[in-house]
Amino acid sequence: MHRYPHWPFHVTLSTICALMLVPFIWVLKTSLTGENIFTYPPSVLPQDPHLFYYVDVWYTIPFFRYLVNSFLVSLIVVVANIVFNAMAGYALTREFIGKKAIIILFLSCMMIPFQVTIIPAYLITKELGLLNTHLGMALPVMSTIVCIFVFKASFDAVPRSLIDAARIDGLPDWKIIFKVMVPLSQSAIATNIILAFIWSWNNFLWPLVIIRDQHMQTLPLGLSRFLTVVEDTTGALYAFCIMVLIPGLVIFLLAQRQFIAGLTTGAAKG
Amino acid sequence: MSIIKRKRTRELLLIGFFLAPSLIIFILYRIIPLIWNGILSFEFWSPYKPAEFAGLYHYQEMLFYDDVFWEVLLNTVIFMLSSPLGILLALGIALLVNAPIRGRNLYRTIVFMSYPVMTVAVGIIWQWLYNEKVGLINYILMSLGFIDQGIPFLESFNLALPCVIVASIWQVVGFYMIVLLTGLQNIPPSLYESAAIDGANSWQRFKRITLPLIRPSIFICIVIGIINSFTNFDLVFVMTQGGPGHATDLLITYIYDEAFKLSKFDYAAALTVVNFVFFLGLALLANKLSGGEAGAVETGD
Amino acid sequence: MKRYEKRLGLVLAFFSILLFMTASQGMTEDKKLTVLTWNIPYFEEGFNQWVSAFNEIHPDITIERLDKKGSEWSTFYQTQVVAGTAPDIIDVQGGLWLEYASKGGLLDITDYLKRDTDYTERIYPEILGSWVFEGKNYGVPLYISKTLLFYNKLMFKEAGLSGPPASFDELLSFAQKMAQGEKTGFMTLNFDWLYWPLFAANGIELLTPDLKKAAFNTPEAVALVEKLAEATASGAINKISWTGRWVEPNGAFASGTVGMLHAHAPAFLWFKSKADWVNEETVGATHLPGGWSTPNSHALLISKSVKYPDAAWDFVKIATSGAGAEALGKGTNNLTGDKIVNEQLFSYFEKELPAVVPVLKTQLEYLDKLCGNWPAAKDAEIKEAFYPELQNALLGQKSAQDALADAEKKVNRVLQKR
Repeated sequence: MHRYPHWPFHVTLSTICALMLVPFIWVLKTSLTGENIFTYPPSVLPQDPHLFYYVDVWYTIPFFRYLVNSFLVSLIVVVANIVFNAMAGYALTREFIGKKAIIILFLSCMMIPFQVTIIPAYLITKELGLLNTHLGMALPVMSTIVCIFVFKASFDAVPRSLIDAARIDGLPDWKIIFKVMVPLSQSAIATNIILAFIWSWNNFLWPLVIIRDQHMQTLPLGLSRFLTVVEDTTGALYAFCIMVLIPGLVIFLLAQRQFIAGLTTGAAKG
Repeated sequence: MSIIKRKRTRELLLIGFFLAPSLIIFILYRIIPLIWNGILSFEFWSPYKPAEFAGLYHYQEMLFYDDVFWEVLLNTVIFMLSSPLGILLALGIALLVNAPIRGRNLYRTIVFMSYPVMTVAVGIIWQWLYNEKVGLINYILMSLGFIDQGIPFLESFNLALPCVIVASIWQVVGFYMIVLLTGLQNIPPSLYESAAIDGANSWQRFKRITLPLIRPSIFICIVIGIINSFTNFDLVFVMTQGGPGHATDLLITYIYDEAFKLSKFDYAAALTVVNFVFFLGLALLANKLSGGEAGAVETGD
Repeated sequence: MKRYEKRLGLVLAFFSILLFMTASQGMTEDKKLTVLTWNIPYFEEGFNQWVSAFNEIHPDITIERLDKKGSEWSTFYQTQVVAGTAPDIIDVQGGLWLEYASKGGLLDITDYLKRDTDYTERIYPEILGSWVFEGKNYGVPLYISKTLLFYNKLMFKEAGLSGPPASFDELLSFAQKMAQGEKTGFMTLNFDWLYWPLFAANGIELLTPDLKKAAFNTPEAVALVEKLAEATASGAINKISWTGRWVEPNGAFASGTVGMLHAHAPAFLWFKSKADWVNEETVGATHLPGGWSTPNSHALLISKSVKYPDAAWDFVKIATSGAGAEALGKGTNNLTGDKIVNEQLFSYFEKELPAVVPVLKTQLEYLDKLCGNWPAAKDAEIKEAFYPELQNALLGQKSAQDALADAEKKVNRVLQKR
């Protein structure tokens, strides 16, 4: 194994990270001080930081209720995504008539941005009787094409030899999927979890359109409370954004540790 | 013979069953709305009046009388062509972060952190960063003596779109990084080891092992980049609302404004159809260029 | 096989339970009226007052309350209209109502107004005329606002200026005097035609009186746009005037670096909340030289699809007059359309919020010099055709001449086509 110096890595990565963090630091700073971000000259360090805005956010909107709603919807979305996308991804690794057509169909679905589907999606959800429900909020995003292809790429990368060996051992398709391919696709599962969670958690326009009951709203909808015409809410707005951000980060950290770390041993050998 | 046939039927049923849930969702929430838009694009319709047939009226309007359409189309294409920058950056970061160095989890997390932030916050902060009078970027540039007066980034017709693109790259690089990392981690290290034993240096290893094997991930990123360019509604909406003029208006923000601000759903539907056809063509091209079959690669042993 | 069947079964069971749990409750058949307000989610107590007053007359009808922020308001409303569940009573800002009225989506309330004279007498007639389309009334004022000129007394003193400008040219020269470094002299809001008083003050009309053709491409207009473009380039006029929406212009004024802000009354309390230094001594409120202003009032209108029009009208009357209007005025710190209530509100504000009184006084003056409020069916489209071209000129992208000529072509096309 080659030995190479680590410090160039650290220097480059640290610079990149510092740049990436700049906007982020400002959001954090304003959430702690609530000052007008248009003051000049700008200062990096917060003057008199306090946690008041975080408390303010908790009480101004029914934060806990919204949190629960967001969590329920995201739970449905993440579970559905993993199951459906893995299934579809696996199906795409097999050969069958019309496979090309299906792939083109999937690709074309990516070309249809959400905003142009609002009205028909609403009408369809209405027909299904799912307006104002968690399932209704989750349904349009319970499967995403990007993640299907992530699974497909992952399954494709499983060495043929392993699959053949399993076949020779007499394992049916089911078992091959669950015992061979899935365990080797941990990072695809992690990616699915992270992405599906974030997209569902931050989803704003769809819940806005289909939810009428106050108590069914999700966190991003609470945002409007902090952008009203009258209230003094700059600090609260940023505190709100940070509070909404944290679960996504937590999921990312958990999913990383669970699946990505120390992957490359095991089945790949021999 | 019949056993093989039965097995084949069973296999087809299995495949169908596996594809069904995703297909149903896409048909309900993408295909049917697309068809709705398609039909609507040939009608005159408002939520209050029954539809009348319009033929190609909206398409004529779009292609011959609407300069804004062409302007936003150009903006969208520019946006799209800049996505390789983000992907390259993410690839670089992914490679760096994939190396067995200490603290790589921390680096990975920091780079990714920008992605889950609500776009509203991202938009407001970047607006401030770019502010001509009191923004941080101008402040730094002036303190370092590069310029005398603040540059009106978001108010300039030429600079506004690149500025939005930079903000967009900031937001999305963590996402690309994750997709590429997944691809990188699918490569068995045994391949690298045997290549090293055979005397290949790092560049050769990169070129001949890494690059081909992450082709599916790169393909995903390219397609996402294309898609991001015409679905990146939120950031533009918050940062500039398409301004100044239509300098940062993308096709999708234009469609949204036509539909929900001006109540011209029928015209917006025609725009949607054109949007769809144009970008489907591009994606199919990308698919072909990267080897077909969504860039799938066999790793023979 | 059994293990996987079990697992699959569990997953399916999980989903069905979730579906069952989260399925919407059965639709009840109670009578209901839905009220959709515009960005006043904090206005709760007063709203409940309205509901109790309403339920005294109509105990069998429940009121459902919805509130959406301006940027999503029309998306939400129109989706509901298409789905057949349009909110019955809507609070609309500016000229958006024209879109719905011109397409037949709103209830004609002319006869109600004629019938209920004890109500109609209380409302300012000039303001009531803001919601007339093709001879029919569609809305009544919920709270009124129009543009005025705020000025930063500290910056004025610093620049050696004694008071607010008395003429349009003085406005520009004062702005130029105050502009240096990060400071700018003048800023305006630009949505909903709020900048139009600058044009009206110079005698420029947007459309011909019959609203059928563009009338703004005149030498005077070209000269004005050139002046404004020059001032923008030199920093006398802050560029955010032409590109900002709400947060940026008000935030900039709050940071104390802008000499004059041309905005409507609600802006005052917003930027005041962001700046400790704002009070009667430091910020003055006056009219734009010439007295022209663009109204940006909110109105209550009724959707055509309403099932109980008479009850809806009763609700509207409660909310926009008497005790209901007073509750709104106090709850949102605005003036209402009810003359008598406004007098009461003034005494209230003089005691509770004296800083806002001079601002509110301007709202009731020069009611004969309202502009930027043409009842054109295609108001939004005209704006879309006109404003980007204007931006081109003001930000130096095109010459004023070319921009106005192009704008004229576009506006005329909008007016002519179907």
